[in-house]
Amino acid sequence: MAQAPLYIVASPSPRVGKTLIARLLVEFFGSSNRPLVGYDLDQREPELATRFPDLVTTIDITDTRGEMALFDRLIAPGLRTTVVDVGYASFDKFFSVLIEIGFVREAQRRGIEPVILFISDTAPLTARAYAELRTALETTVFVPVHNESVSVMFEKADFAPSRPEFGVIRIPRLSAIVRGVVDRPSVSFAQYMHDDRPGGPTEIHSWVRDIFTEFRELELRLLMGRLTASLGGSPVTNFLDAWRGRQTKHGA
Amino acid sequence: MAKPTVVVVGADKGGVGKTTVSRTLLDYFTAHHVATRAFDTEAPKGTLKRFHPDITDIVDVTYVPDQMRIFDTLSTTDASVTVLDVRAGLLSPTLRALRDIGFLEAVKKGQLNFVVFHILGSSIASLNEIEDTSVFTTDAKYFLVKNYFNNTTFFEWDQATYASYFKKFKDAVEISIPKLNEMAYEQVELASVPFLTFVANKNLKGDAANYSFVLRGYVRHWLGNVWGEYDRVKLNDIIAAGNGNANAAGPRVQVVRSAQ
Repeated sequence: MAQAPLYIVASPSPRVGKTLIARLLVEFFGSSNRPLVGYDLDQREPELATRFPDLVTTIDITDTRGEMALFDRLIAPGLRTTVVDVGYASFDKFFSVLIEIGFVREAQRRGIEPVILFISDTAPLTARAYAELRTALETTVFVPVHNESVSVMFEKADFAPSRPEFGVIRIPRLSAIVRGVVDRPSVSFAQYMHDDRPGGPTEIHSWVRDIFTEFRELELRLLMGRLTASLGGSPVTNFLDAWRGRQTKHGA
Repeated sequence: MAKPTVVVVGADKGGVGKTTVSRTLLDYFTAHHVATRAFDTEAPKGTLKRFHPDITDIVDVTYVPDQMRIFDTLSTTDASVTVLDVRAGLLSPTLRALRDIGFLEAVKKGQLNFVVFHILGSSIASLNEIEDTSVFTTDAKYFLVKNYFNNTTFFEWDQATYASYFKKFKDAVEISIPKLNEMAYEQVELASVPFLTFVANKNLKGDAANYSFVLRGYVRHWLGNVWGEYDRVKLNDIIAAGNGNANAAGPRVQVVRSAQ
């Protein structure tokens, strides 16, 4: 059955870069013209919906109607990539509903693969929340995200991916000035990558390129994971290393 | 010969969720492949019958011919379990009538299996009914059902009061029915289907419906919790013992998973 990926960007902590990562995802998929839809659960600052009004809908899940508006849509058939930006204030509610209604099992049955991109930080609460979610959602794909602008340290033991081959997504630190440019409403990462740079790659250019490579690699890992599972666990361990080697050689 | 089981579901007051509990029981027996019939005493229109029309008859339990329909057919019906959803306020009078017709005597002699689900209200008056009801349940399995549908606490915050009602009768077993999401409950009401059918996203004809996945999920989770309570008090074993065979009730249909 064809798989429709559902990326859930979440953290129980505020100001860790959830919306930035969701934005990067939206632009990454948009740059390859893949059908995409997004949901922004941050009622106070729906930045993702503001930036992509044609693609992203704001939904308030504080009541049952809002829960239905979100989850009934997430479970609906359709081969399009979905990105959900779970505002930190919605974190507990989102996952308690997701667990209670048995969303993951039904989604997988319908060919929708939820992937939780969990933003790490150094707060013990965050590590605890990650461990609890991993226990409650055993069959779900978890990929931790290390945003170096939030913390330099990354505790691998606290934020292990659901399978080792899924790895960790690394978001490099940006300088403060460049961060200010990136946050401008008019800035589009995909457009930035597309436009010619007479002076050569800038810091933003390299940063976006590296992150888009991480996303591309994640997609490949997810695909290989499904392939491995369907082959009954036959190891396909060298493929990613070889692919990564080719990427470095060609300066991508 | 199999011993028939009669399950009486009653309450002294209306609006405590009696018929809701009856519906969960009918689904529970269905899932365990137990042949069941039900009598809805909310004559003339009925409330239980709307959700389980194929196995439910509307009766007036105060009317002798209807009493004969229920109790004279216990040994001849194909159903091994008869559920009697008693109109609110008629629990004690119904139990008294059962005594008067010799039903309780037959239970005492081991000819019948008798189970009483007493749905409690959150008032002292309702809890006082426990003592009145317990007089008739000496040879029955007597369940005190706390239905938390409206966030009531049943005086759990006052241990002395709580113990004076719930710990007084040693043979009375407590069952807690958790609250179901209100919108999910109302959607099932509108659909007029059993909870199990709603979870399976089917209408009364068995055709595919289009109920909200979220609401179905809430009902599935809730029903799993309710059935977890029935499993905890070994209701399946009680019914199976009545059939004279511990394995008479089949394995449960895996539509609902017991909540962790």
